[in-house]
Amino acid sequence: MNSLSIYVARESGLHKLNPLTKFVLSLCILLGGLAFSNALAGYVILFAIVTPLAMFGGVTKRMYQLVFNISWPLILSVFLIQSFFWGAGTPLFEIGPVSPKLEGVLFAFKSSGRILYVMANFILFSLTTRPDTLMISLKQAGLPSGLAYIIVSTLQLIPQYAAKANIILDAQRSRGLETQGNIVTRARALLPLVLPLVISSLLEVEERAIAIEARAFNSNRVETSILEIPDSQSQKTARAGMIIITILLIAGRFLWQLSS
Amino acid sequence: MLENIKKEFSTRTLVFIAIAIAINIVIGQLVFYLKLPIYLDSIGTVLVGALVGPWAGAVTGGLSNLLWGVVPPPLQNTFAVPFFYVAVVIGLLAGFFGKRGVFEKESPRWVSVLIGAIFFFSLTMFILAFINIDTSQGFAIFPSMKDLVSQYAIVFVLALAIGAAIGYFLLQNGGYVGLAGLVTGVVAAIISAPTAAVVFGGVTGGGTDLLVAAFRASGGNIWASVLAQGSVSDPFDKMLSFMVVLFILRALPARFKAR
Repeated sequence: MNSLSIYVARESGLHKLNPLTKFVLSLCILLGGLAFSNALAGYVILFAIVTPLAMFGGVTKRMYQLVFNISWPLILSVFLIQSFFWGAGTPLFEIGPVSPKLEGVLFAFKSSGRILYVMANFILFSLTTRPDTLMISLKQAGLPSGLAYIIVSTLQLIPQYAAKANIILDAQRSRGLETQGNIVTRARALLPLVLPLVISSLLEVEERAIAIEARAFNSNRVETSILEIPDSQSQKTARAGMIIITILLIAGRFLWQLSS
Repeated sequence: MLENIKKEFSTRTLVFIAIAIAINIVIGQLVFYLKLPIYLDSIGTVLVGALVGPWAGAVTGGLSNLLWGVVPPPLQNTFAVPFFYVAVVIGLLAGFFGKRGVFEKESPRWVSVLIGAIFFFSLTMFILAFINIDTSQGFAIFPSMKDLVSQYAIVFVLALAIGAAIGYFLLQNGGYVGLAGLVTGVVAAIISAPTAAVVFGGVTGGGTDLLVAAFRASGGNIWASVLAQGSVSDPFDKMLSFMVVLFILRALPARFKAR
Protein backbone atom coordinates (compact mmCIF):
# COMPACT_ATOMS: atom_id res chain seq x y z
CA MET A 1 0.00 0.00 0.00
CA ASN A 2 3.03 2.28 0.30
CA SER A 3 3.00 3.83 -3.13
CA LEU A 4 -0.66 4.75 -2.97
CA SER A 5 -0.81 6.42 0.39
CA ILE A 6 0.74 9.56 1.80
CA TYR A 7 0.82 7.96 5.26
CA VAL A 8 3.83 8.96 7.39
CA ALA A 9 4.77 6.55 10.19
CA ARG A 10 5.33 8.29 13.55
CA GLU A 11 5.17 7.23 17.19
CA SER A 12 2.53 9.74 18.20
CA GLY A 13 -0.68 9.74 20.20
CA LEU A 14 -2.62 10.66 17.08
CA HIS A 15 -1.19 7.70 15.17
CA LYS A 16 -2.10 5.36 18.00
CA LEU A 17 -5.76 6.37 18.05
CA ASN A 18 -8.24 3.98 16.52
CA PRO A 19 -8.64 4.84 12.79
CA LEU A 20 -12.38 5.08 13.28
CA THR A 21 -11.91 7.82 15.88
CA LYS A 22 -9.77 9.84 13.48
CA PHE A 23 -12.27 9.21 10.68
CA VAL A 24 -15.15 10.54 12.80
CA LEU A 25 -12.99 13.44 14.02
CA SER A 26 -12.09 14.64 10.53
CA LEU A 27 -15.66 14.21 9.28
CA CYS A 28 -16.92 16.27 12.24
CA ILE A 29 -14.33 19.01 11.64
CA LEU A 30 -15.33 19.12 7.97
CA LEU A 31 -19.10 19.30 8.53
CA GLY A 32 -19.01 21.33 11.74
CA GLY A 33 -16.74 23.91 10.09
CA LEU A 34 -19.17 24.46 7.23
CA ALA A 35 -21.80 25.47 9.81
CA PHE A 36 -19.93 28.73 10.50
CA SER A 37 -20.30 31.50 7.94
CA ASN A 38 -17.94 34.04 9.53
CA ALA A 39 -15.14 35.19 7.20
CA LEU A 40 -12.48 34.06 9.69
CA ALA A 41 -14.09 30.71 10.57
CA GLY A 42 -11.95 28.69 8.14
CA TYR A 43 -8.72 30.19 9.45
CA VAL A 44 -9.75 29.76 13.09
CA ILE A 45 -10.44 26.05 12.50
CA LEU A 46 -7.17 25.66 10.60
CA PHE A 47 -5.00 27.28 13.27
CA ALA A 48 -6.91 26.43 16.46
CA ILE A 49 -7.99 22.85 15.71
CA VAL A 50 -6.25 21.27 12.71
CA THR A 51 -2.74 22.67 13.34
CA PRO A 52 -2.55 21.61 17.04
CA LEU A 53 -3.75 18.15 16.00
CA ALA A 54 -1.01 18.02 13.36
CA MET A 55 1.58 19.01 15.98
CA PHE A 56 0.24 16.26 18.23
CA GLY A 57 0.74 13.85 15.32
CA GLY A 58 4.20 15.27 14.48
CA VAL A 59 3.33 15.93 10.83
CA THR A 60 2.78 19.72 10.80
CA LYS A 61 5.53 20.49 8.29
CA ARG A 62 4.54 17.73 5.86
CA MET A 63 0.87 18.71 6.12
CA TYR A 64 1.53 22.35 5.27
CA GLN A 65 3.83 21.33 2.39
CA LEU A 66 1.08 19.22 0.84
CA VAL A 67 -1.64 21.80 1.51
CA PHE A 68 0.49 24.48 -0.12
CA ASN A 69 1.36 22.34 -3.17
CA ILE A 70 -2.24 21.47 -3.87
CA SER A 71 -3.97 24.72 -3.03
CA TRP A 72 -1.87 27.58 -4.36
CA PRO A 73 -3.14 27.48 -7.98
CA LEU A 74 -6.70 27.29 -6.73
CA ILE A 75 -6.37 30.11 -4.23
CA LEU A 76 -4.66 32.29 -6.82
CA SER A 77 -7.53 31.65 -9.20
CA VAL A 78 -10.14 32.34 -6.48
CA PHE A 79 -8.56 35.73 -5.73
CA LEU A 80 -8.17 36.73 -9.38
CA ILE A 81 -11.68 35.75 -10.43
CA GLN A 82 -13.53 37.04 -7.39
CA SER A 83 -11.73 40.37 -7.20
CA PHE A 84 -11.59 41.31 -10.87
CA PHE A 85 -14.96 39.92 -11.94
CA TRP A 86 -17.03 41.00 -8.93
CA GLY A 87 -19.98 42.87 -10.50
CA ALA A 88 -20.65 46.11 -8.62
CA GLY A 89 -18.48 47.07 -5.64
CA THR A 90 -15.87 49.39 -4.23
CA PRO A 91 -12.85 49.48 -6.56
CA LEU A 92 -9.50 49.20 -4.75
CA PHE A 93 -7.38 50.59 -7.59
CA GLU A 94 -7.52 50.58 -11.36
CA ILE A 95 -5.32 48.80 -13.89
CA GLY A 96 -6.41 50.02 -17.29
CA PRO A 97 -10.02 48.96 -17.83
CA VAL A 98 -10.25 46.58 -14.86
CA SER A 99 -10.20 47.08 -11.12
CA PRO A 100 -10.28 44.59 -8.23
CA LYS A 101 -13.25 45.09 -5.90
CA LEU A 102 -12.98 45.17 -2.13
CA GLU A 103 -16.04 42.95 -1.64
CA GLY A 104 -14.57 40.41 -4.04
CA VAL A 105 -11.26 40.28 -2.18
CA LEU A 106 -13.09 39.77 1.13
CA PHE A 107 -15.17 36.97 -0.39
CA ALA A 108 -12.06 35.33 -1.83
CA PHE A 109 -10.42 35.58 1.61
CA LYS A 110 -13.37 33.74 3.16
CA SER A 111 -13.47 31.04 0.44
CA SER A 112 -9.72 30.49 0.75
CA GLY A 113 -10.08 29.93 4.49
CA ARG A 114 -12.64 27.23 3.83
CA ILE A 115 -10.56 25.61 1.10
CA LEU A 116 -7.47 25.59 3.32
CA TYR A 117 -9.09 24.03 6.37
CA VAL A 118 -10.99 21.42 4.33
CA MET A 119 -7.77 20.33 2.62
CA ALA A 120 -5.58 20.44 5.71
CA ASN A 121 -8.15 18.36 7.59
CA PHE A 122 -8.23 15.76 4.83
CA ILE A 123 -4.47 15.60 4.43
CA LEU A 124 -3.91 15.33 8.19
CA PHE A 125 -6.22 12.32 8.26
CA SER A 126 -4.38 10.61 5.38
CA LEU A 127 -0.99 11.40 6.90
CA THR A 128 -1.77 9.75 10.22
CA THR A 129 -3.97 6.80 9.22
CA ARG A 130 -2.90 3.66 7.44
CA PRO A 131 -5.53 2.90 4.78
CA ASP A 132 -5.55 -0.84 5.53
CA THR A 133 -6.20 -0.36 9.25
CA LEU A 134 -9.01 2.05 8.45
CA MET A 135 -10.62 -0.53 6.16
CA ILE A 136 -10.37 -3.26 8.81
CA SER A 137 -11.90 -1.11 11.51
CA LEU A 138 -14.67 0.08 9.20
CA LYS A 139 -15.44 -3.56 8.40
CA GLN A 140 -15.51 -4.40 12.11
CA ALA A 141 -17.89 -1.49 12.65
CA GLY A 142 -20.32 -3.07 10.18
CA LEU A 143 -19.32 -1.81 6.71
CA PRO A 144 -20.56 -4.39 4.14
CA SER A 145 -17.64 -6.41 2.77
CA GLY A 146 -18.70 -5.68 -0.83
CA LEU A 147 -18.32 -1.96 -0.23
CA ALA A 148 -14.97 -2.49 1.50
CA TYR A 149 -13.80 -4.52 -1.50
CA ILE A 150 -14.77 -1.73 -3.91
CA ILE A 151 -12.89 0.90 -1.90
CA VAL A 152 -9.70 -1.12 -1.41
CA SER A 153 -9.48 -2.42 -4.95
CA THR A 154 -10.21 1.00 -6.47
CA LEU A 155 -7.35 2.51 -4.50
CA GLN A 156 -5.07 -0.20 -5.87
CA LEU A 157 -6.35 0.11 -9.43
CA ILE A 158 -5.99 3.87 -9.83
CA PRO A 159 -2.17 4.06 -10.00
CA GLN A 160 -2.19 1.04 -12.36
CA TYR A 161 -4.66 2.75 -14.66
CA ALA A 162 -2.79 6.02 -14.58
CA ALA A 163 0.28 4.09 -15.80
CA LYS A 164 -1.82 2.31 -18.42
CA ALA A 165 -3.17 5.67 -19.65
CA ASN A 166 0.41 6.87 -20.17
CA ILE A 167 1.28 3.75 -22.16
CA ILE A 168 -1.76 4.26 -24.40
CA LEU A 169 -0.83 7.92 -24.83
CA ASP A 170 2.68 6.98 -26.00
CA ALA A 171 1.37 4.22 -28.26
CA GLN A 172 -1.17 6.45 -29.99
CA ARG A 173 1.38 9.27 -30.36
CA SER A 174 3.80 6.90 -32.04
CA ARG A 175 1.00 6.12 -34.50
CA GLY A 176 0.75 9.83 -35.27
CA LEU A 177 -2.02 11.02 -32.94
CA GLU A 178 -1.74 14.72 -32.12
CA THR A 179 -2.34 15.41 -28.43
CA GLN A 180 -1.13 19.00 -28.24
CA GLY A 181 -2.38 22.13 -29.88
CA ASN A 182 -5.68 23.94 -29.96
CA ILE A 183 -8.85 22.78 -28.28
CA VAL A 184 -10.21 21.00 -31.39
CA THR A 185 -7.02 18.95 -31.76
CA ARG A 186 -7.05 17.99 -28.11
CA ALA A 187 -10.75 17.12 -28.21
CA ARG A 188 -10.22 14.88 -31.25
CA ALA A 189 -7.47 13.02 -29.40
CA LEU A 190 -9.85 12.13 -26.59
CA LEU A 191 -11.66 9.16 -28.11
CA PRO A 192 -8.55 7.24 -29.32
CA LEU A 193 -7.14 7.64 -25.79
CA VAL A 194 -10.26 6.83 -23.81
CA LEU A 195 -11.62 3.85 -25.76
CA PRO A 196 -8.57 1.52 -25.45
CA LEU A 197 -8.25 2.31 -21.74
CA VAL A 198 -11.89 1.59 -20.96
CA ILE A 199 -12.28 -1.47 -23.15
CA SER A 200 -9.10 -3.18 -22.01
CA SER A 201 -10.12 -2.55 -18.38
CA LEU A 202 -13.61 -3.92 -18.90
CA LEU A 203 -12.26 -7.14 -20.30
CA GLU A 204 -10.54 -7.69 -16.93
CA VAL A 205 -13.84 -7.78 -15.04
CA GLU A 206 -14.44 -11.49 -15.62
CA GLU A 207 -10.93 -12.55 -14.61
CA ARG A 208 -10.98 -10.53 -11.41
CA ALA A 209 -14.44 -11.76 -10.43
CA ILE A 210 -13.37 -15.39 -10.82
CA ALA A 211 -10.15 -14.70 -8.93
CA ILE A 212 -11.87 -13.27 -5.84
CA GLU A 213 -14.64 -15.87 -5.85
CA ALA A 214 -11.95 -18.54 -5.84
CA ARG A 215 -10.60 -16.88 -2.66
CA ALA A 216 -13.84 -17.24 -0.69
CA PHE A 217 -15.09 -13.70 -1.39
CA ASN A 218 -18.70 -14.76 -0.88
CA SER A 219 -18.08 -16.60 2.38
CA ASN A 220 -20.34 -15.57 5.26
CA ARG A 221 -17.92 -16.46 8.03
CA VAL A 222 -16.50 -13.74 10.28
CA GLU A 223 -13.04 -12.76 9.06
CA THR A 224 -10.07 -12.58 11.37
CA SER A 225 -7.24 -10.15 10.83
CA ILE A 226 -3.55 -10.36 11.52
CA LEU A 227 -3.52 -6.65 12.45
CA GLU A 228 -4.66 -5.85 15.98
CA ILE A 229 -6.40 -2.50 16.10
CA PRO A 230 -6.55 -0.98 19.57
CA ASP A 231 -9.81 0.57 20.68
CA SER A 232 -11.02 1.72 24.08
CA GLN A 233 -14.23 2.65 25.82
CA SER A 234 -13.10 6.29 26.13
CA GLN A 235 -12.57 6.48 22.36
CA LYS A 236 -16.04 5.07 21.77
CA THR A 237 -17.51 7.73 24.05
CA ALA A 238 -15.45 10.42 22.30
CA ARG A 239 -16.74 9.34 18.90
CA ALA A 240 -20.36 9.49 20.05
CA GLY A 241 -19.69 12.88 21.65
CA MET A 242 -18.16 14.34 18.47
CA ILE A 243 -21.07 13.16 16.36
CA ILE A 244 -23.60 14.69 18.77
CA ILE A 245 -21.73 18.03 18.91
CA THR A 246 -21.57 18.21 15.10
CA ILE A 247 -25.28 17.45 14.72
CA LEU A 248 -26.08 20.14 17.30
CA LEU A 249 -23.86 22.65 15.46
CA ILE A 250 -25.54 22.01 12.13
CA ALA A 251 -29.02 22.02 13.66
CA GLY A 252 -28.20 25.27 15.46
CA ARG A 253 -27.02 26.79 12.24
CA PHE A 254 -30.27 25.88 10.46
CA LEU A 255 -32.43 27.23 13.30
CA TRP A 256 -30.41 30.46 13.34
CA GLN A 257 -30.80 30.76 9.57
CA LEU A 258 -34.57 30.26 9.87
CA SER A 259 -35.01 32.77 12.66
CA SER A 260 -33.07 35.57 10.96
CA MET B 1 -37.55 -3.57 -4.71
CA LEU B 2 -34.96 -4.89 -2.24
CA GLU B 3 -34.66 -8.07 -4.27
CA ASN B 4 -33.93 -6.05 -7.40
CA ILE B 5 -31.25 -4.06 -5.63
CA LYS B 6 -29.63 -7.23 -4.31
CA LYS B 7 -29.66 -8.77 -7.77
CA GLU B 8 -27.73 -5.80 -9.16
CA PHE B 9 -24.78 -6.37 -6.83
CA SER B 10 -23.25 -9.69 -7.87
CA THR B 11 -19.53 -10.32 -7.48
CA ARG B 12 -19.04 -9.33 -11.08
CA THR B 13 -20.84 -6.04 -10.52
CA LEU B 14 -18.64 -5.23 -7.53
CA VAL B 15 -15.52 -5.77 -9.63
CA PHE B 16 -17.06 -3.75 -12.45
CA ILE B 17 -17.86 -0.87 -10.07
CA ALA B 18 -14.29 -0.77 -8.73
CA ILE B 19 -12.90 -0.65 -12.27
CA ALA B 20 -15.44 2.00 -13.31
CA ILE B 21 -14.46 4.23 -10.38
CA ALA B 22 -10.80 3.97 -11.36
CA ILE B 23 -11.74 4.90 -14.95
CA ASN B 24 -13.74 7.93 -13.72
CA ILE B 25 -10.89 9.23 -11.64
CA VAL B 26 -8.08 8.65 -14.15
CA ILE B 27 -9.94 10.19 -17.10
CA GLY B 28 -11.44 12.96 -14.96
CA GLN B 29 -8.04 13.98 -13.68
CA LEU B 30 -6.59 13.94 -17.21
CA VAL B 31 -9.28 16.36 -18.37
CA PHE B 32 -8.84 18.49 -15.24
CA TYR B 33 -5.17 18.97 -16.10
CA LEU B 34 -5.89 19.71 -19.77
CA LYS B 35 -8.02 22.65 -18.52
CA LEU B 36 -10.83 21.81 -20.89
CA PRO B 37 -14.13 23.49 -19.95
CA ILE B 38 -15.72 20.07 -19.26
CA TYR B 39 -15.23 17.33 -16.63
CA LEU B 40 -15.69 13.94 -18.33
CA ASP B 41 -15.47 12.29 -14.93
CA SER B 42 -18.59 10.17 -15.23
CA ILE B 43 -17.85 7.80 -18.12
CA GLY B 44 -17.49 4.86 -15.71
CA THR B 45 -20.64 5.87 -13.85
CA VAL B 46 -22.72 6.03 -17.03
CA LEU B 47 -21.22 2.74 -18.20
CA VAL B 48 -22.22 0.92 -15.00
CA GLY B 49 -25.64 2.56 -15.06
CA ALA B 50 -26.19 1.50 -18.66
CA LEU B 51 -24.93 -2.08 -18.31
CA VAL B 52 -26.05 -2.96 -14.75
CA GLY B 53 -28.72 -0.62 -13.45
CA PRO B 54 -29.52 2.56 -11.53
CA TRP B 55 -28.46 1.42 -8.04
CA ALA B 56 -25.06 0.18 -9.17
CA GLY B 57 -24.69 3.42 -11.15
CA ALA B 58 -25.50 5.50 -8.08
CA VAL B 59 -22.94 3.63 -5.94
CA THR B 60 -20.30 4.08 -8.65
CA GLY B 61 -20.94 7.81 -8.91
CA GLY B 62 -21.04 8.54 -5.20
CA LEU B 63 -17.95 6.50 -4.34
CA SER B 64 -16.01 7.97 -7.27
CA ASN B 65 -16.26 11.48 -5.95
CA LEU B 66 -15.67 10.48 -2.32
CA LEU B 67 -12.60 8.37 -3.16
CA TRP B 68 -11.22 11.10 -5.40
CA GLY B 69 -10.52 13.05 -2.22
CA VAL B 70 -8.50 10.28 -0.52
CA VAL B 71 -6.27 8.99 -3.32
CA PRO B 72 -2.75 10.44 -3.08
CA PRO B 73 -1.78 13.52 -5.11
CA PRO B 74 -1.24 14.03 -8.12
CA LEU B 75 -4.47 12.12 -8.70
CA GLN B 76 -6.20 13.69 -5.73
CA ASN B 77 -9.01 16.15 -6.28
CA THR B 78 -10.61 17.35 -3.07
CA PHE B 79 -13.08 19.53 -4.94
CA ALA B 80 -15.00 16.54 -6.23
CA VAL B 81 -15.91 15.35 -2.71
CA PRO B 82 -18.79 17.74 -1.89
CA PHE B 83 -20.33 16.99 -5.30
CA PHE B 84 -20.77 13.29 -4.57
CA TYR B 85 -24.57 13.58 -4.41
CA VAL B 86 -24.57 14.96 -7.98
CA ALA B 87 -22.65 11.89 -9.14
CA VAL B 88 -25.21 9.66 -7.37
CA VAL B 89 -28.02 11.29 -9.34
CA ILE B 90 -26.06 10.95 -12.60
CA GLY B 91 -25.64 7.22 -11.95
CA LEU B 92 -29.33 6.82 -11.14
CA LEU B 93 -30.37 8.66 -14.30
CA ALA B 94 -27.95 6.69 -16.49
CA GLY B 95 -29.36 3.47 -15.06
CA PHE B 96 -32.89 4.65 -15.63
CA PHE B 97 -32.13 5.51 -19.27
CA GLY B 98 -30.31 2.20 -19.67
CA LYS B 99 -33.35 0.27 -18.40
CA ARG B 100 -35.46 2.12 -20.97
CA GLY B 101 -33.18 0.78 -23.72
CA VAL B 102 -31.85 4.20 -24.73
CA PHE B 103 -28.44 2.73 -25.50
CA GLU B 104 -29.79 0.06 -27.84
CA LYS B 105 -32.25 2.05 -29.91
CA GLU B 106 -30.88 3.77 -32.98
CA SER B 107 -32.42 7.11 -33.80
CA PRO B 108 -32.96 8.37 -37.35
CA ARG B 109 -30.47 11.09 -38.21
CA TRP B 110 -33.11 13.80 -38.50
CA VAL B 111 -34.00 13.27 -34.83
CA SER B 112 -30.35 13.89 -33.92
CA VAL B 113 -30.33 17.02 -36.06
CA LEU B 114 -33.49 18.25 -34.34
CA ILE B 115 -32.12 17.56 -30.85
CA GLY B 116 -28.84 19.33 -31.64
CA ALA B 117 -30.56 22.35 -33.14
CA ILE B 118 -33.12 22.78 -30.34
CA PHE B 119 -30.48 22.41 -27.68
CA PHE B 120 -28.14 24.95 -29.25
CA PHE B 121 -31.01 27.35 -29.76
CA SER B 122 -32.01 27.24 -26.08
CA LEU B 123 -28.41 27.46 -24.95
CA THR B 124 -27.89 30.58 -27.06
CA MET B 125 -31.11 32.05 -25.72
CA PHE B 126 -29.95 31.38 -22.17
CA ILE B 127 -26.51 32.93 -22.64
CA LEU B 128 -27.83 35.98 -24.48
CA ALA B 129 -30.53 36.53 -21.88
CA PHE B 130 -27.82 36.39 -19.26
CA ILE B 131 -25.51 38.82 -21.03
CA ASN B 132 -28.34 41.26 -21.56
CA ILE B 133 -29.58 41.35 -17.97
CA ASP B 134 -30.61 44.87 -17.07
CA THR B 135 -29.34 45.76 -13.60
CA SER B 136 -29.69 49.54 -13.92
CA GLN B 137 -32.65 49.67 -11.52
CA GLY B 138 -30.89 47.77 -8.78
CA PHE B 139 -32.51 44.42 -9.47
CA ALA B 140 -32.09 42.04 -12.39
CA ILE B 141 -34.54 42.24 -15.29
CA PHE B 142 -34.22 39.54 -17.93
CA PRO B 143 -34.82 40.74 -21.51
CA SER B 144 -37.87 39.29 -23.29
CA MET B 145 -37.43 36.41 -25.70
CA LYS B 146 -38.90 38.35 -28.60
CA ASP B 147 -36.45 41.23 -28.24
CA LEU B 148 -33.54 38.83 -28.14
CA VAL B 149 -34.57 36.93 -31.24
CA SER B 150 -35.04 40.10 -33.29
CA GLN B 151 -31.87 41.68 -31.93
CA TYR B 152 -29.60 38.67 -32.47
CA ALA B 153 -31.31 37.01 -35.45
CA ILE B 154 -28.01 36.06 -37.09
CA VAL B 155 -26.62 34.53 -33.91
CA PHE B 156 -29.71 32.36 -33.52
CA VAL B 157 -29.58 31.19 -37.13
CA LEU B 158 -25.92 30.34 -36.62
CA ALA B 159 -26.74 28.48 -33.40
CA LEU B 160 -29.41 26.44 -35.18
CA ALA B 161 -26.95 25.58 -37.96
CA ILE B 162 -24.17 24.58 -35.56
CA GLY B 163 -26.61 22.56 -33.47
CA ALA B 164 -27.91 20.77 -36.55
CA ALA B 165 -24.36 20.05 -37.71
CA ILE B 166 -23.41 18.66 -34.30
CA GLY B 167 -26.54 16.53 -34.34
CA TYR B 168 -25.75 15.20 -37.80
CA PHE B 169 -22.01 14.56 -37.47
CA LEU B 170 -21.49 13.92 -33.75
CA LEU B 171 -24.70 12.32 -32.51
CA GLN B 172 -25.33 10.51 -35.84
CA ASN B 173 -27.75 7.69 -35.01
CA GLY B 174 -27.28 8.07 -31.26
CA GLY B 175 -29.82 10.87 -30.93
CA TYR B 176 -31.62 9.29 -27.97
CA VAL B 177 -28.35 8.78 -26.12
CA GLY B 178 -27.41 12.41 -26.79
CA LEU B 179 -30.76 13.57 -25.48
CA ALA B 180 -30.43 11.40 -22.36
CA GLY B 181 -27.00 12.98 -21.76
CA LEU B 182 -28.38 16.49 -22.20
CA VAL B 183 -31.23 15.85 -19.74
CA THR B 184 -28.79 14.39 -17.20
CA GLY B 185 -26.52 17.41 -17.69
CA VAL B 186 -29.30 19.92 -17.06
CA VAL B 187 -30.29 18.11 -13.85
CA ALA B 188 -26.64 17.97 -12.76
CA ALA B 189 -26.16 21.69 -13.42
CA ILE B 190 -29.17 22.62 -11.31
CA ILE B 191 -28.38 20.44 -8.30
CA SER B 192 -24.64 21.16 -8.25
CA ALA B 193 -24.90 24.96 -8.35
CA PRO B 194 -25.67 25.45 -4.61
CA THR B 195 -22.58 23.47 -3.56
CA ALA B 196 -20.34 25.19 -6.09
CA ALA B 197 -21.48 28.62 -4.92
CA VAL B 198 -21.53 27.99 -1.16
CA VAL B 199 -18.48 25.79 -0.65
CA PHE B 200 -16.09 27.07 -3.30
CA GLY B 201 -17.36 30.52 -4.16
CA GLY B 202 -17.83 29.25 -7.70
CA VAL B 203 -14.19 28.44 -8.40
CA THR B 204 -12.86 24.89 -8.60
CA GLY B 205 -9.47 25.33 -10.28
CA GLY B 206 -10.49 23.55 -13.49
CA GLY B 207 -11.07 24.87 -17.00
CA THR B 208 -14.67 25.72 -16.11
CA ASP B 209 -13.46 28.67 -14.00
CA LEU B 210 -13.02 30.72 -17.16
CA LEU B 211 -16.74 30.43 -17.84
CA VAL B 212 -17.62 31.53 -14.31
CA ALA B 213 -15.32 34.52 -14.77
CA ALA B 214 -16.99 35.39 -18.06
CA PHE B 215 -20.44 35.33 -16.48
CA ARG B 216 -19.29 37.33 -13.47
CA ALA B 217 -17.88 39.91 -15.85
CA SER B 218 -21.23 40.28 -17.59
CA GLY B 219 -22.84 41.26 -14.30
CA GLY B 220 -24.18 38.08 -12.71
CA ASN B 221 -23.85 37.42 -9.02
CA ILE B 222 -22.08 34.27 -7.78
CA TRP B 223 -25.20 32.10 -7.77
CA ALA B 224 -26.31 33.09 -11.24
CA SER B 225 -22.80 32.77 -12.69
CA VAL B 226 -22.28 29.32 -11.25
CA LEU B 227 -25.66 28.16 -12.51
CA ALA B 228 -24.96 29.67 -15.92
CA GLN B 229 -21.55 27.99 -16.08
CA GLY B 230 -23.11 24.67 -15.12
CA SER B 231 -25.83 25.05 -17.72
CA VAL B 232 -23.20 25.54 -20.40
CA SER B 233 -20.67 22.90 -19.24
CA ASP B 234 -22.82 20.12 -17.80
CA PRO B 235 -25.16 19.30 -20.72
CA PHE B 236 -22.18 19.22 -23.12
CA ASP B 237 -20.15 17.21 -20.70
CA LYS B 238 -22.83 14.62 -20.03
CA MET B 239 -23.78 14.42 -23.70
CA LEU B 240 -20.15 13.72 -24.52
CA SER B 241 -19.87 11.14 -21.71
CA PHE B 242 -23.03 9.36 -22.85
CA MET B 243 -21.77 9.35 -26.46
CA VAL B 244 -18.39 7.94 -25.39
CA VAL B 245 -20.24 5.20 -23.50
CA LEU B 246 -22.29 4.47 -26.63
CA PHE B 247 -19.08 4.06 -28.64
CA ILE B 248 -17.67 1.79 -25.93
CA LEU B 249 -20.82 -0.34 -25.86
CA ARG B 250 -20.69 -0.74 -29.63
CA ALA B 251 -17.02 -1.74 -29.49
CA LEU B 252 -17.49 -4.29 -26.68
CA PRO B 253 -17.87 -7.95 -27.57
CA ALA B 254 -21.48 -9.18 -27.32
CA ARG B 255 -20.34 -11.79 -24.79
CA PHE B 256 -19.59 -9.04 -22.27
CA LYS B 257 -22.90 -7.25 -22.67
CA ALA B 258 -24.91 -10.44 -22.34
CA ARG B 259 -24.22 -10.63 -18.60
